[in-house]
Amino acid sequence: MIKPWARRAIGASIALAVGIAISGCSASGAGTGGAVSADGEYSGPDVDVTFWHGWTGGAAPTIVPQLIQKFNAEHENITVKAVPQEWGDITAKMPLAIKAGKGPDVAVLHGDDLATYAAQNLLQDAGGIIDGLGYSGDDFPKGVFDKGNFRDAQYAVPWSVTPLGLYVNKTVLAKAGITEIPTDEASYTAALEALKGAGVAGEWVDGYVFTGTFEFQSLIWQFGGDMYNDDVTEATFNSEAGVKALTWMTDLVKNGYSPANVAQDGNIKALIAGETAFNWNGVWQTTNSAFADLDWVAAPVPQIGDEKAVWSSSTHWVFPQNKGQDKNKTAAASVFVKWMNDNSMGWAETGELPAANTVREDPALLEQYPNLEPFMNELEYAHYETVSPGISEANAQITLALNEALTGKKDPKSALDDAADKANQILKANQDKYGD
Amino acid sequence: MTNTAPLVATAPQRNGAGGRGSRPSARRPASGRKTLTAYLFLAPFLLLFLTFVVGPAIFGIWMSLTNWSPFREVQTFVGLQNYINLFTPGTVTASDFWKSMSVTGIFIVASVPFLVVVPLLVAILLNQRIRATTAFRTIFFAPYVLGVAVIGVIWGYILDTQSGILNHLMGLIGLPSNVPWTVDVPWVWVSLVGVTVWWTMGLNTIIFLAGLKGINADLYEAASLDGAGTVNKFWNVTIPGLRPVMTFITTTTILASANMFGQSYLLTKGGPGTETRTAIMYIADQGLSQNNMAPAAAMSYVLFAALAVISVINFRLQRERVEKGLK
Repeated sequence: MIKPWARRAIGASIALAVGIAISGCSASGAGTGGAVSADGEYSGPDVDVTFWHGWTGGAAPTIVPQLIQKFNAEHENITVKAVPQEWGDITAKMPLAIKAGKGPDVAVLHGDDLATYAAQNLLQDAGGIIDGLGYSGDDFPKGVFDKGNFRDAQYAVPWSVTPLGLYVNKTVLAKAGITEIPTDEASYTAALEALKGAGVAGEWVDGYVFTGTFEFQSLIWQFGGDMYNDDVTEATFNSEAGVKALTWMTDLVKNGYSPANVAQDGNIKALIAGETAFNWNGVWQTTNSAFADLDWVAAPVPQIGDEKAVWSSSTHWVFPQNKGQDKNKTAAASVFVKWMNDNSMGWAETGELPAANTVREDPALLEQYPNLEPFMNELEYAHYETVSPGISEANAQITLALNEALTGKKDPKSALDDAADKANQILKANQDKYGD
Repeated sequence: MTNTAPLVATAPQRNGAGGRGSRPSARRPASGRKTLTAYLFLAPFLLLFLTFVVGPAIFGIWMSLTNWSPFREVQTFVGLQNYINLFTPGTVTASDFWKSMSVTGIFIVASVPFLVVVPLLVAILLNQRIRATTAFRTIFFAPYVLGVAVIGVIWGYILDTQSGILNHLMGLIGLPSNVPWTVDVPWVWVSLVGVTVWWTMGLNTIIFLAGLKGINADLYEAASLDGAGTVNKFWNVTIPGLRPVMTFITTTTILASANMFGQSYLLTKGGPGTETRTAIMYIADQGLSQNNMAPAAAMSYVLFAALAVISVINFRLQRERVEKGLK
């Protein structure tokens, strides 16, 4: 079922690709593609642009094809072809595909993967492309754009941000006679205590990535600490701030505000089932259809430590450095990226915040998705994931420490110390593996 | 691991059609043609086997002797360094790897007896002349056709600490209702073994059942005439009759248990801590997620060596029993 015009476009671009390959002018360096005009339009020959992404769940499988269809209709000389696959498959396949020259022309990656790809020369230095599109750090929430920077080169354009927030089951909260949503340590503890009095464990804490690790990271930043030192050569999550953060979490169990041994996702299930009042969870839960029958509200995470801070993830556009990458394709891909960001209003449907400030600051967004407001307000003080090649392996040690502390295998300090020792070994190995 | 196939393939063999063909020289032309035909029939499988098992296995040996990285153009030969690291305490991988090996070991020891004994008993029950045996056979086999992802989701709901069905039911009859089935030891082991037995016992049951059908009914009759009761017949007729099948089943079950990955990956995330992170899970994480392909290749060869040793011991033990039985 390929439309005739599309078939012609594909045929033309295959002919073009073959022509380029034969004439041997396909070698491309970093920097801008030649054929993008100042107003962000692509004027080169017809091209196919391959786009890999991992949005396989929720609303994305309907939204992405719609957006792409619209883009293709508006751009006569560009045909974007999306290849959706699981994020895990992308991690496993994309590096090798790029090395073999069979990777996509444009892809979306999570912020914590960017450095791993950049360190392996899998991504084009996108500085020129970004200048061409007229983007700078001010076009996105504070700190996100810089996450695409690695060793003084910019590799990525932000696409979405997904901060953590506090989900509240208001029916359960009312059982304790509370109507105000807590915002700080005192009011949060008071609410938990009142809930305990009403026979409710107010916040079920878990020792898994979703979402115990995100909660821990928010807390360590609130207590003034950080996961790693500035040049990411040493783990610092076992600092005083880290121990305070984890102790606060284990105290939830000790004080009876949380049951022990919560399984992964046990807390969000409990919130939906009306067994608990609070759950620290990501903005993506705003689209959870199970909330439909619930009297719920989302709020910024309470300030437990000395300053406001919250964990957020981010996704970014990247331009893979395929062997023999066609400049025209990259140029067309950059037009696609700009167009997607400009038209990303509907992306909120998937429970992610569009990164482009122009879109997020458009009042129409909150009119359509009022639940996003608390999350947007958090962006002022949101922290994003650490940028360093191979960092996910070291990050896994944090979750391990949480898990050990929350199941009572170790006390918070020794769990974090052991994990930091291991993480330091991994960081050192990463330096050897990815070079400086 | 990919390396189990040859072991499995040889497992069910016994003194088969070896007694025939007393004059091979006179029949050479025909048998030569037959051999060719046989190879032609085997060719499609052999081709796949060479491409997807032998080829990668050899490539894996080379990989484990280098500092292989998918991102480098040139790979450097490092000799046995990756193996030496695994046996040197204090390196990044050594303690985690041996921890994961011991986890796999625990799972084998805990699951294999159940995966052999339970299907054997079920097969004996199904072999009785009862109504609706076919229906029961289907029921016992049914879970086996489900994928591990489905198993993970279903049991995730059943075993949840606070909102799981199992704990709810236990609460109703006065048992503790907050057992951390997927969160804390030792319960995670009970869950993983239980789920695995429920999921895979159908296969062993069917094989045992086929073995039971193959035992000559005359033997039971003779035993009855000699005054043997049910228990005696079980030990002296059924078990010896099932020995070749038993060798096959214990070997394949040990190997299958050693390859356990999905259950703990989905149900316990390897937790608490790394208590249920199996060797395969750790190797997959190191090789495919962390791109430490060379150490991961070395680890899979150490695992392969361990499994090969276990399989050989298993064969030897069972063969001795068979020989003794024959005497």
